[in-house]
Amino acid sequence: MLRTVWGIRVERRLDIPRRTSAAISGLLILLSFVVASAVFEILGVNSVRTLSTIVSVFLSPSSLLQAILRGMPIGLAALGLSIAFRMNFWNIGAEGQLYMGMFAATGMVLLHAYYGAIPEQLLFITMILASFISGGLYCTLPGFLKSKLGVNEILPTLMLNYVAILFVDFLVYGPWRDPKGFSFPLSIPFPDYARMDGFFGNSSYLGLMIAIIVAALVYGLMRWTTLGFELRLVGQNVDAAKYGGVNLLKTTLIGSFLAGGLAGIGGLIIVSGLIGRLRPRASPGYGYTAIIVAFLAGLNPWLIVPAAIFFGGLLVAGEAIQATLNLPVAAVQVFQAIIFLMIIVAEFFKRYRVTFKR
Amino acid sequence: MSLEAVVWLESVLAGAVQAGTVFLIASLGEIYAERSGVLNLGMEGMMIVGAAISFIVSNALGHGFAMMAVILIGLILGLGHAFLTVTLKLNQIVVGLALTILGLGLGGLLGNAEIRKRIILALNPGVEERNLIVQEASKLPDIHIPFLKDIPVLGSMFFQQNALVYLSLILTFVMWFILFRSSFGLALRSVGENPAMADAMGINVFRIRYIAMGICGMLGALAGSYLFIGYQPFWVEGMTAGRGFISLALVILATWNPLRAVLAAYLFGGVETLQFRLQLIGVAAQLPQFLLMLPYIVTIVTLTLLSLESVKKKIGVPASLGIPYSRE
Repeated sequence: MLRTVWGIRVERRLDIPRRTSAAISGLLILLSFVVASAVFEILGVNSVRTLSTIVSVFLSPSSLLQAILRGMPIGLAALGLSIAFRMNFWNIGAEGQLYMGMFAATGMVLLHAYYGAIPEQLLFITMILASFISGGLYCTLPGFLKSKLGVNEILPTLMLNYVAILFVDFLVYGPWRDPKGFSFPLSIPFPDYARMDGFFGNSSYLGLMIAIIVAALVYGLMRWTTLGFELRLVGQNVDAAKYGGVNLLKTTLIGSFLAGGLAGIGGLIIVSGLIGRLRPRASPGYGYTAIIVAFLAGLNPWLIVPAAIFFGGLLVAGEAIQATLNLPVAAVQVFQAIIFLMIIVAEFFKRYRVTFKR
Repeated sequence: MSLEAVVWLESVLAGAVQAGTVFLIASLGEIYAERSGVLNLGMEGMMIVGAAISFIVSNALGHGFAMMAVILIGLILGLGHAFLTVTLKLNQIVVGLALTILGLGLGGLLGNAEIRKRIILALNPGVEERNLIVQEASKLPDIHIPFLKDIPVLGSMFFQQNALVYLSLILTFVMWFILFRSSFGLALRSVGENPAMADAMGINVFRIRYIAMGICGMLGALAGSYLFIGYQPFWVEGMTAGRGFISLALVILATWNPLRAVLAAYLFGGVETLQFRLQLIGVAAQLPQFLLMLPYIVTIVTLTLLSLESVKKKIGVPASLGIPYSRE
């Protein structure tokens, strides 16, 4: 493509050096601070105080730990998405898969507490497994529809978010409501050994550990295994994959299962690390933020972890802004969206070279 | 049936139209976007911005200006989406989601008491003190159409509503006519079907997609405006509550046809209304969640059916939906 409009010339880049690519990303992320300040100032919000509140979150150890913990559900969901997006599976359903993870983790706690079905020592590991399988299966359904019947996955995954949220609503308003909870829509509180802070004193450490282990596994899977190669091949060129003998149905099912499963573990972190019980609407959109994080990190598992912590920090900052500046959490949402838009626009500059001609 | 039951049913049906109009207006816009080949996942964001703007402007300057401001903002959002997805050819899913997150954030900021007050004062310094602090706005007045309003059931459904409900019905027919009976509509559909072919025939693919997205943005914001001043004039942060996404679902259920969108919209509106009413009379205290799940499940089933080759040919799913066009 070669076009000149208003003296602006756009041509496709054949390849792009890593340095240039990183420079473009860095520049546009800096620009997002400028744009966000402009938007805040137009609306009469003190942009310096808002942005400095955000920065200060990362400077104090206690709020940094908070940021890490808040970031981990996002990070795990984003790690799942990095697999899904690599195989060109547009999973918008991480939010729902998080809820299915919360559902399964809480289910195990209730099995233990009400029926004594699971011994105390095995409870946490069972919760991890259950949330992984539950989130995974939930994502396999649109995966099946896509690979078997050719149904585009975007809307099914999106719609299933609402189904999962409503399903959890049903449980906590109905059969799973704590009998001693004064009819609030809450499950029973989790016992200590089902809570993440029971392990290293602070849930953040265990959360971070899980995320790093998962990031390593995802990296290894995509890089060194046949399955990872097949997943990437399906994403790059379905026809080539088919002729190369890749079993499309099987690969898509496994890929979508892994993607959903990791989000499911993210759900476990929400109930077991952040809240300590199940309640309705327990995720304020972590699953959608995960999409931004996956893109910000360029689908690189190692970069996803710090990117998730950054967005976890934004959430913590949102609460601080609400408390001290009397602004809605939405201020942070606007900032998130602007970063997101800038990352997207950076994609354009990485693909095309833009020059100005007199 | 007893008289009470009839009255109850009548009110549910009228409620279905009132609740469904939000979905109808938004899905009309989305149908044009998708027919031209652009998937707009930013509908939810456009809607909430529309609601927030109409909240502020109607308190400052009244309904008329609110409507104009909403349409203008919607146009800007729609064209912005088109710039990113059509001109820069960026991924439509990602751009749409970004727009939704941006919209939800802006909606929250605009609805904030301090910010709102400042904007209202800037728009109209002489505004009444009360308008600065209320969390609501005056609702659009209902217009009763003489004689027709007395028809049983239909009268309360279609002839005792506010101007935007009537407008949505007129728009449905106009937009159906343009889409299927005019040369512009043919061009728009062919761009969504096979842009390379349309381009070869001399149709400006980029311009058509810009126009479609402009229309989509205006209607998306207008849907939000109806939600606020025409249906529930009390401001709640995040009050669209997923309605933009439901509209996307509805477009599929209506198989990209404005006339079928009316039925689908009222069906979804009916589910929403019924859920409130059933809770009011204490029936199905456990069921509302499952009732609310229905639209989503129906959508997935519809999508699955649409994927069958025979059905696809009969209905005409826009073949290049979601794919940016470039002349390479």
